[in-house]
Amino acid sequence: MRCRETVIHVTGRVFALVSPLIVALLTLPAAAAEPPEIVCIQCHGSMPGRIGEPVKLWKGSIHAENGVACNACHGGDPKDAANAMSPARGFLGAPKETAIPAFCGRCHVGVMKDYLASAHGKALGKGGPTCVTCHGNHQVVKATLDLINEKSCSRCHSYERARLIRAAMQETEGMIVAIDTRIAAYKGEGTDTEGLEKGLFAVRNRFHTLFHNVDVEMVKKESAGIQGYLKKIRDQLTALDNSHKKRKLAGAGGITAMLLLALFAHLLRKTYD
Amino acid sequence: MALLKRLIDWIDVRIGAREVVAKELTGYLLPRNINTWYSMGSILLFIFAMQVATGILLLIYYVPDADKAFKSVTFIMNEVPFGWLIRLCHTVGSSLMVLVLFFHMLSVLFMNSYKSPRELNWLTGFILFTMVQGISLTGYLLPWSQLSFWATTVATNSVGAIPAVGQYLVEFLRGGKLVGPPTLGRFFALHVALIPAVIAALVGAHLFFLQRTGVSTPPFGQKETANQWKGDGYHYENHPGGIPFFPVYAFEDVRSIFIYLACFLGVVFFFPNLLFTRDAFIPANPLLTPAHIKPEWYFLANYQTLKLFPSEFLGLAVQGVAMTFLALLPFIDRGPERHPLKRPLFMVCALGGLLLWIGLGVWGHYS
Ligand code: HEC
Ligand code: HEC
Ligand code: HEC
Ligand code: HEC
Ligand code: HEC
Ligand code: HEM
Repeated sequence: MRCRETVIHVTGRVFALVSPLIVALLTLPAAAAEPPEIVCIQCHGSMPGRIGEPVKLWKGSIHAENGVACNACHGGDPKDAANAMSPARGFLGAPKETAIPAFCGRCHVGVMKDYLASAHGKALGKGGPTCVTCHGNHQVVKATLDLINEKSCSRCHSYERARLIRAAMQETEGMIVAIDTRIAAYKGEGTDTEGLEKGLFAVRNRFHTLFHNVDVEMVKKESAGIQGYLKKIRDQLTALDNSHKKRKLAGAGGITAMLLLALFAHLLRKTYD
Repeated sequence: MALLKRLIDWIDVRIGAREVVAKELTGYLLPRNINTWYSMGSILLFIFAMQVATGILLLIYYVPDADKAFKSVTFIMNEVPFGWLIRLCHTVGSSLMVLVLFFHMLSVLFMNSYKSPRELNWLTGFILFTMVQGISLTGYLLPWSQLSFWATTVATNSVGAIPAVGQYLVEFLRGGKLVGPPTLGRFFALHVALIPAVIAALVGAHLFFLQRTGVSTPPFGQKETANQWKGDGYHYENHPGGIPFFPVYAFEDVRSIFIYLACFLGVVFFFPNLLFTRDAFIPANPLLTPAHIKPEWYFLANYQTLKLFPSEFLGLAVQGVAMTFLALLPFIDRGPERHPLKRPLFMVCALGGLLLWIGLGVWGHYS
């Protein structure tokens, strides 16, 4: 199961990585001009209130960054203003509360499965949160643990259990961030970090799918395994650190040798004065 | 020992080797007031040899193919034993070669040794200077990284500003409208075959001219600093009572080379990233222009000059005039005086030009 979900996640990520390239490809001939605005944005952007609001919010989202526009979520025809919102062109409208998980789940398949199986998913329509309760509907930003906070999670129940989950995830999150920084530093020096990056990428994905189960025990159990993988990556980085330290030592030796040889040549030269 | 002596004798009776040594090494006398700046040429010879050696080693694994070049360089840096060292030596060496080249040029300039009869020395030197720039530029593309791809795009773009033929010239250089796989092929051939051969030949000519005119006397600490040569006949400038090149000045050269090596290794081991940006480790992507693309430090002044002028053509023309002026300097500046302090106008111009070049470079770096 996990494995298949990871595959789906990786596909999503790859799409995410590739989509900016596709956007760039499309815009290049126009000498890096803005992509032509789709009719949804043109029309909605000029409207007040709840019809116009989504455009502003969406512009700051990770979806906008990755080229997931209005029609990717709502369907419809982004090129034909007259029939843009015709159901015949695949327009879905705005989802009702109970339809939201499936709405987002078209792309975030693994998350949706975890969510539906969780206490939150089971309470869907009966006071449980949907995806947009936590992520917002249009201004969806990159997910971090900061989404678990007292203000957001005490809306329906006490923060206690939320705190436990966050605490269980915090350590692993910290490790991931630290490893990511170290890998980035090596990459900037010409070290081949492709293997390390791929490893971290897979572990990070596995880790990030954990939350939606909202199951403290499961988070704890899985975290141990994930940290095991992270430690392996960390060991590889430490081995790199050591070999670089050795290089610096050898370099210092080389420089000293050159200076001594220079001194020797100088003294030899002086013997002829 | 006896065996060695017999071997030398064997050679000597056949080709008169001892005579050559006596004439060109132990009997080759240099001015008594010679200084360390005269070692720059030897350092340059050493660097060039080292670039050739490390370059040949890189060729074993480097693949000049747009699909494989970046991977092959990554392989050299990470998998090949000591590949990282060889690659860093080659890149750091290329940059330091330009630096030492500047020192050599400036010392020759400020000691006024370019004056007649050494015009040919200066001229071959100047062509060497442009060739070294050329070999750096062509080599920069070979790793096929974002940095090399876009720096080459920017550098070749400006050629297009030449009226009438510019566009054709750019296409000829690139082997297409844009920098692409054909450009890599061309630059590779220039970098590893044509330009090194030209440099080697020019170095030969440079040294031949030096050998025929004799080394100049530094103008410092002399009473008479005016140029003695009247242009009336061939004259070898000898230095009676001077210091023998071998072994005395040779040791000074060797000392200079070791000091250079210490600095060189310092950069290689402790500051290799002086010469790289993050984009140097991302494969070339023609569809994604990185944010800050700057040429290498020694082209920054040219880069800034191009940006300063309202039209690219004007910027190019100004640089062309400046380069032509420098190339023809010995034919323009013909006064006999060689001591820089006795030539205030020359000093102001030379220092002003140097400061302008540095200023433009710094400006280009921060702009
Ligand atoms: C010519 C103007 C115009 C264009 C073009 C347009 N819309 Fe609308 N849209 C509206 C108006 C007006 C409303 C509110 C009235 C309504 O509910 O029918 C609306 C409502 C909506 C709603 C809310 C529907 C609901 O059930 O509450 C969604 C979602 C929506 N539009 C999405 C889109 C998408 C996606 C596109 C592009 C494919 C698009 N719109 C193009 C004018 C436009
Ligand atoms: C990531 C998917 C996604 C994208 C992209 C998206 N929307 Fe929505 N949109 C939703 C969801 C989910 C809802 C229902 C929100 C809710 O019930 O809180 C919604 C609701 C709406 C509504 C109804 C708002 C209301 O208060 O009734 C409008 C109008 C709308 N979207 C327009 C747009 C426009 C215009 C764009 C493009 C700028 C856009 N949406 C992009 C997911 C998306
Ligand atoms: C058309 C496909 C699509 C739909 C529908 C969609 N998304 Fe996304 N979403 C993406 C892509 C592509 C990304 C960027 C890639 C990534 O980082 O995973 C993304 C990123 C995200 C992220 C950030 C992930 C991260 O790495 O931190 C969140 C959170 C998110 N989406 C939530 C939602 C929510 C909530 C909905 C429903 C309202 C939704 N998405 C609907 C395609 C979609
Ligand atoms: C109870 C609040 C909550 C609900 C409900 C929720 N999420 Fe999340 N989501 C989070 C938190 C918190 C994270 C950050 C987890 C982390 O940092 O590991 C997250 C992370 C994510 C991510 C990024 C993780 C990854 O695998 O790339 C995506 C995508 C996402 N959510 C989509 C959804 C979708 C789609 C739904 C509805 C099916 C949903 N979320 C429902 C709180 C929620
Ligand atoms: C819209 C209301 C709502 C919000 C907001 C909400 N929850 Fe819940 N949560 C529920 C409901 C309903 C349940 C199921 C009943 C229960 O156990 O209290 C639940 C249960 C849980 C459980 C227990 C799960 C189990 O299997 O026992 C945890 C842990 C939890 N929530 C964490 C969070 C976190 C973390 C957040 C903030 C990111 C959050 N919740 C925000 C409604 C919400
Ligand atoms: C690959 C590049 C070069 C190499 C290997 C090289 C090598 C040398 C050597 C070995 C000498 C003799 C020792 C010395 O004075 O340093 C010399 C002298 C000289 N070089 Fe260069 N040189 C190079 C580039 C240049 C350049 C760019 C210039 C100026 C444009 C130049 C101008 C001169 C002049 C004028 C002399 C004569 C100096 C004198 O007799 O006092 N050279 N060069």
